[in-house]
Amino acid sequence: MGWRVGVDVGGSFTDFAALDEADGRLVTLKVFSRPDAPGAEIEQGLGLLASQHGVAPQDVAYFTHGTTVGINTVIQRSGVRLALFTTAGFEDVLEMARLKMQRYHNLYARRPEPLIPRDRVFGIEERIRADGSVPMPVCRDSLLAAQRAARAAGAEGIVLAFLHGWRSDVNERAAEAILLEADPALPVFRASGIWPIIREYERTITACISGYVQPRVAHYLDRFEATLARLGVPAAPRITRSNGGVMGVRQAKAECVQMVLSGTASGVIGAGFIARECGFPKLLTLDIGGTSADLAVLTDGEAQYGTGEVIGDFQIHIPSVSVTSIGQGGGSIASVDDFGVLQVGPRSAGSSPGPACYGKGGTEPTITDAVAVLGLIGHSELGYSAVRLDVAAARAAVGRLATKLGTGTEETAASILDLSISAMYADASGLISRFGLDAREYSLLAFGGAGPMLACFLARELNMAGVVVPPTPGVLSALGGLVADLRSDFIRTIYATLQLGAEAPLQEALAAMRRDATTWLVDEQGFAGTPVLTLSAEMRYRGQSFEVDTPLDPAWVEAGDIDALRAAFDAEHERLYGHADAEEAVQVVTLRLVIAGETPKPQLRRIAEATGQPAPQATVQAFLEGAWQPVPLYARDALRAGHTFLGPAIVAQPDSTTCIPAGFAVAVDGFGNLIITPQAR
Amino acid sequence: MPIERRSLQILANHCGAAADAMAFALMRTAHSAFVKETEDFSCTLVTPEGEAFASPRQFGAPWYSGINYGPVLEMIGAYEPGDICITNDPYSGNVATHTPDIHIWKPVFHDGQIVCFVVGHIHNTDVGGAVPASLSRSLTEIEQEGIRVPPLKLVSQGRLNEDVLRIIKLNVRAPEQNWGDLKAQIASVNIGERKVHEIIARFGVATFSAGIREMLDYAEEQARAVLRGIPDGEYFFADFADEDGEGGVPCRVALTLRIQGGAVELDYTGSDPQVASSLNMPTGGRERHPLALVGLTYVLYTLNNDLLMNAGTLRAARAIMPEGTLLNAVAPAAVGMRSLTCMLTQIVTFGAFSLALPDRMPATSPGGNSIMNLRTAGWDGRPVMASIGPVGGGGGGTPVSDGPNGAGGAQAFLKNTPVEISEAEVPVLFRRYGLWRDSAGAGRYRGGLSAVMEFQVFAPDTVVTARNRNRSVFSSWGVLGGRAGTLSHFIRNPGTPQEVSLGNTDILRCEPGDVVRVVGAGAGGYGDPFTRDPRLVADDIRQGFVSPERAREDYGVALRDGVVDEDATRALRAAPGRAARTAHFDVGTARAAFEAVWSEERYALLTEFLMAQPIRWRHHFKRRFFAAVAEGQGAELRLAAQMQQIGSALLQSAGLPAAR
Repeated sequence: MGWRVGVDVGGSFTDFAALDEADGRLVTLKVFSRPDAPGAEIEQGLGLLASQHGVAPQDVAYFTHGTTVGINTVIQRSGVRLALFTTAGFEDVLEMARLKMQRYHNLYARRPEPLIPRDRVFGIEERIRADGSVPMPVCRDSLLAAQRAARAAGAEGIVLAFLHGWRSDVNERAAEAILLEADPALPVFRASGIWPIIREYERTITACISGYVQPRVAHYLDRFEATLARLGVPAAPRITRSNGGVMGVRQAKAECVQMVLSGTASGVIGAGFIARECGFPKLLTLDIGGTSADLAVLTDGEAQYGTGEVIGDFQIHIPSVSVTSIGQGGGSIASVDDFGVLQVGPRSAGSSPGPACYGKGGTEPTITDAVAVLGLIGHSELGYSAVRLDVAAARAAVGRLATKLGTGTEETAASILDLSISAMYADASGLISRFGLDAREYSLLAFGGAGPMLACFLARELNMAGVVVPPTPGVLSALGGLVADLRSDFIRTIYATLQLGAEAPLQEALAAMRRDATTWLVDEQGFAGTPVLTLSAEMRYRGQSFEVDTPLDPAWVEAGDIDALRAAFDAEHERLYGHADAEEAVQVVTLRLVIAGETPKPQLRRIAEATGQPAPQATVQAFLEGAWQPVPLYARDALRAGHTFLGPAIVAQPDSTTCIPAGFAVAVDGFGNLIITPQAR
Repeated sequence: MPIERRSLQILANHCGAAADAMAFALMRTAHSAFVKETEDFSCTLVTPEGEAFASPRQFGAPWYSGINYGPVLEMIGAYEPGDICITNDPYSGNVATHTPDIHIWKPVFHDGQIVCFVVGHIHNTDVGGAVPASLSRSLTEIEQEGIRVPPLKLVSQGRLNEDVLRIIKLNVRAPEQNWGDLKAQIASVNIGERKVHEIIARFGVATFSAGIREMLDYAEEQARAVLRGIPDGEYFFADFADEDGEGGVPCRVALTLRIQGGAVELDYTGSDPQVASSLNMPTGGRERHPLALVGLTYVLYTLNNDLLMNAGTLRAARAIMPEGTLLNAVAPAAVGMRSLTCMLTQIVTFGAFSLALPDRMPATSPGGNSIMNLRTAGWDGRPVMASIGPVGGGGGGTPVSDGPNGAGGAQAFLKNTPVEISEAEVPVLFRRYGLWRDSAGAGRYRGGLSAVMEFQVFAPDTVVTARNRNRSVFSSWGVLGGRAGTLSHFIRNPGTPQEVSLGNTDILRCEPGDVVRVVGAGAGGYGDPFTRDPRLVADDIRQGFVSPERAREDYGVALRDGVVDEDATRALRAAPGRAARTAHFDVGTARAAFEAVWSEERYALLTEFLMAQPIRWRHHFKRRFFAAVAEGQGAELRLAAQMQQIGSALLQSAGLPAAR
């Protein structure tokens, strides 16, 4: 028996969750992230775990880790210098992308600078057709000439992305062999080996991002391992992935791209764990930090998965937990335009300089400052002593806008809060419309530093069933890493019409994926239990330009039951879009297999039963409904199972503050979750 | 709670979310490819009087944010709760602008009063008529463009009018698809209605009604503030489509832009008469018709990115479009390809604003984006069709940066089709898809390069269409010393003895094995190319965007070993004989030669003559004028006398009175 430790490095803070395997005790803490000295925050946090909670490094039996180093590499454009080899005639793939631009009403609109400039893109004489036939094998001379030119241009790696690499990788593999033979020191990244989807731009950009972050992330992981070794942590660490699972460090170093979105994914996985353990079947998760606000759907604790998540200027097409951005978090800056209309965002103070009230050099009023002015936060220390709120600074920042508007500082702060909620409402209602959900059946599970602060206001606008605030909302990503399963995705692009005779390629693909998946889980990750396999296919009616991911029973494929596959797709299309077309031909675009090996889960501890009513720690003044009024402040750790109280109220804890406006009732459940429901009006 | 000015954006967010919800409902349930691929639809909330106050924030066609439904709203006698109305007739209220756009609208009642309407349209794949998909440049009458439904109640107090539906279904090629789209539209307005009720429950009906008017006022104030920042004055610009119909003569859109104290007038007087092809715009001459003001919307948004876009944005504007002209065609003129003409109105708007604000307006994107379609036989012999993507130019050079390559400016809203999808769908083999070197107009900041697509087809009777194609005769202009871009090309079997250049054609029948190359027009540059930083030119050469020859010629930059040869560059740039360009625009050689004959003065005389004639004669007379001038009729006379002589002869031969 020992400790299980999860560490999640975010933009502003690094979160730690440690679970005592002996008695299920969960302890958490936060330290500032150290982008200047990555790894230092881990040393500091482990030190605090030891000194404050008695978690000795040598007792850490299981260790998971997520980091933003990959995503930062893309956002800051600090990756390596790459060359891209494409099929000759298609060298402009990155420059043209999918043509369409954001904010296309602006005549100055531009696409982002390509990750690899055109002068390091080289066309190679080779060709594969859509059916996998090879009219032209890869030309050795053309390849070696390109390699020389790439080296001369200072390339530190080569991305290979040939047309129809989704269908056949023979030319890419042959090219890789030739290139590595000629120069083993110049790494090669094969698009067909990273995520072989059809659509050349999407596959190419994914491979480019993969190669781009590779050395930075691998180097970081080397140092991370060394840090753990020096501290005497015996556990072999596992790294969290964008798909919500974990993998070993060796694989993480080889497939760095798999971890770029692990931070947001882990939060949703942590929320999913809470949802399953505590019995919340229909949730939207709301994760608000300093620089982002993200929403995800959890049905019976299961996240939704997809590809095409946004990372910096690009979309990346690897399987990821689906989240939708609904704003830029607590750091979004408020301003007043020339017409006396208040605006919030799109500029953000981010984590540096951050909100004015953080006292780290920020002077512009942010959402967090508005909430501080209203007296809703600032009654205890945020982020485990990392930040002491400077309410005066917040008042000064918001006051400047109030002067412009000719109204009071508090009124201005209230308007900023209302406006930010309405902006989140607009984006959230988009997600709800897109998935065709009925918001009244869903509760909002709030986490991240600022999630619980804003959740009730948003849930009220969305007419939701209520809000759930888990016991440690500020460190849910770290908890998510702790409970994540070993998980990996496999794909074969089929692109065939579903008809008699289509069963053979499907069966071959399934068998091959099974082999790959088992090799990964058993041989590479050393998993000894029973694997869980999930099969699905992306299908569409002929002529449609988008696919519907349809869950399948592997037995249907093995038995060659084409009718069952067809029926499954029709049913899924009907469910999602309200109509199906039994006459139209159906195409199977890809077959996907997910393998998961369940890791041991902690047992959430039940908290002590309440005796009598909760006693507020203090009564504070807050500006609500247009006036200052006394509001009870509860300490989270003093709440007991069965406690109930009414809003307005504030619940403070080291990693977050929960604001409960009037009109909501709070009940504390057996696990310590705050169950907040709107009262009938 | 009352909405105060400072909190207006809160209501705007809720209304935007309602429009988004309508769009999602449409996208989830519609059948037409147009909805999902090119987002050619709209979902809008309009005031009881018809002024648009909220649109989806990220989806849909970018042309309709300021639409006014007033004219069609009035065409229904009395509204009852549960009514849903429909029309696609371009000549009934001018809200639909070609027949495939089916518009519907639903009143939202609160306590017996209409508080707003929820409206929208979908571009249906086909509404019947002479050709599949209902659109062709060669059509000459609206009757050829499919079924027309006058404004009527499709649903009356919740009950569907089955008779109307039966008539529609009988007259189209894929009735189930139209019905599917119509159901999606009905679902969309029903969602919109529900969302409006939620907003009213949240804010109160008085706040809602006052707030939506305030949103329009706010947008108007924003637009007027932008306009006040532009020097008062009159700015004239004209541009041309290559042809006014198949095998025709150039087609002109002229604009006099008048800016005065925060108001703007777009006077299109002097534009060509309506034509006997489908390039006409059915605006009814309405002074805030969205098609006439798309360019203005772009300009205002470009000058203030925080613009709340709604009908208020356009209140400061007034368009003048004389009846019987290209921009205000009367029935039965065909209107299917009005998008090509609308693009021209945008381009002349950008040109006129460039004169007004030379330091802030970019050169234009060329327009004439070919929408490429392939109709061929599949591997199994069955007929197949595929949209293989747009091929056009880039964005124009701007005062601070090069134009984006491949697409940009007012043409940045279309997605392309992946080569891999096209090849998997239909028997076609792409040889090239990328950027066309040296296509950009040179400039201190060059235009964007155009796209090139080259592919081989295999089945007999394969038909390639390039809808909206333009700029194969007249270049896209550069400004302030920046050069015009190169022309577009449509070539069969390039680089072989069988090579055929297809001019301005937009349709091609192929033989098995034919190779087709389409090249978009290049966008114009901004500023004198001889003032471009030579290092940027060197970088363009390295990237393959500019050839060393053009670098010397157009930019006066010489390279040695891949880096700028300072001495040689200085010498090239100082060389005598390079006339300083003082004209605001470089319109390219073809247009300069054309305008040497068809000068502003000659056009004024032509317009004066044509506008005095019956509408149905005008296009005929225009072409006869062009033929007469080309033949040199009366060439010995002074211009006015020559035009008068030609005109008199035409009237005489037509048996029309000489003085009208």
